[in-house]
Amino acid sequence: MATTTNYGWTTPDDTALVKDGASAIRTLGTSVDTTTKNLNPSTTLGDIEYRSSTANTNTRVGIGSSGQALTVVAGVPSWAASATSTLTTTGDTIYASAANTLARRAIGSTGDVLTVSGGLPTWAAPAAGGGFTSIATGSLSGTTTTISSIVQTYKHLYLVVKGAQLVTTAALPCFRLNGDSSSIYSNFRITYDSTVVNASGALAFIRTSGSNIPLTSNSRTLVLYIENYTQTQIKPITSRFASDTSGGDSCNIVFSNYNSTTAITSIGITTDTAQTFSAGTYILYGVN
Amino acid sequence: MAKSTRPMVRIHDLATDEVIDREMNDAEFETWKADQAAQAIAEAQAKVKENAKAAILDRIGLTADELKTILG
Repeated sequence: MATTTNYGWTTPDDTALVKDGASAIRTLGTSVDTTTKNLNPSTTLGDIEYRSSTANTNTRVGIGSSGQALTVVAGVPSWAASATSTLTTTGDTIYASAANTLARRAIGSTGDVLTVSGGLPTWAAPAAGGGFTSIATGSLSGTTTTISSIVQTYKHLYLVVKGAQLVTTAALPCFRLNGDSSSIYSNFRITYDSTVVNASGALAFIRTSGSNIPLTSNSRTLVLYIENYTQTQIKPITSRFASDTSGGDSCNIVFSNYNSTTAITSIGITTDTAQTFSAGTYILYGVN
Repeated sequence: MAKSTRPMVRIHDLATDEVIDREMNDAEFETWKADQAAQAIAEAQAKVKENAKAAILDRIGLTADELKTILG
C-alpha cells in the first residue's frame, strides 16, 4: 500500500480496485484528520503550541497570566512570572528569591533603608548612628528639676545646664540620680589651676562645683556626663562647671561615683541647700 | 486657697513629655529637711574650723593674707 511522503498517510496503489475507493478515501481522511489534530491541539483563546518529543505531534500551552513572559522549563516553553507581573504595587522592587526565581519586595516605610536579612534584601529602619540626640529640653524651676522616665536606648547621657540662677541664696550646683538621697555619692573635684583639690565621700548628691549658682543673670555652664547609664553596674560620672568669673573656682571638674548598680532613669538638678531656681535651661542628650 | 508651705519642684516626665510643677511630696519634703539639717551641721563645722584657724593666726600674730604669702 502506498503512503504519502511526509505523514505516511495510506493511499491506494495504482493497481487498487475502484470498488475499494470509498474505503481508501475514508482511511486517508481519517489519517489527515488525526494528523491535523495532533499538529493543532489548541482548544482555547491564546493557546500556543510547540513541537513535542513525539513526531508530528504538538503540545498545547494555555495562555499565561497577564504580564507573564514565555520562558523555558525543562526544555519546553512555559509561561512564568516576569518582572512586570511580579511588580504589583507602586514602590515594589524585584529580587531573586532563588536561582532564576523572581520575587517582589514591597516598599518599606518612610526613612527605611535597604538592608539584608537572612540573605535577602529587606527594608528596615536605619540603625541609630553615633553622636548626640537631644531627648529633653526645658527650664529650671522649684528647688529641684527632675528629668524622669529617661529612655534606656542610648549608651551614655550628657546633660548641659546653662544660665542657672537662684531666687534668694547662692548655692552649689548638685545632681541626684534616681531620686536617691542616701549618702552614697563620692566626689573628687579639681579647680582651674589645681589650687583646690577636694575629695568628698559619702555625700547625698553629686556636687559639681565649689563655685555657687548666683542670684543674677549669668552664662555659667554645668555639664553632667554619665557613662553606661543603662547598665547595672557602678557607672563612671564626670561633671564640669564653667563660671563666667575668673580665678578661684571659675572652672571645676568633678569625678564622681554613684555607689549603686541601678540603671539611671532620672536626674535631679538641684543645689546643696535646695534653693529655688529662678532661671536656667537644660538639654539632655542621649549619646551613642 | 491655702498658701504653699512646702518648696516647689519641677518634674519633666520624658515618657509623656509633661512638665509638672508641684509642692514636694512627703518623701521629698523629708529629704529636703534632712538636706537642710546636714547643711546646717556642715556650715557649723566649717565655722568652728574657721574660728580655730583665726584663733591660731591671732596667737602667732599673723593675718590670713600674710599666712597665704608665706605658704605661697
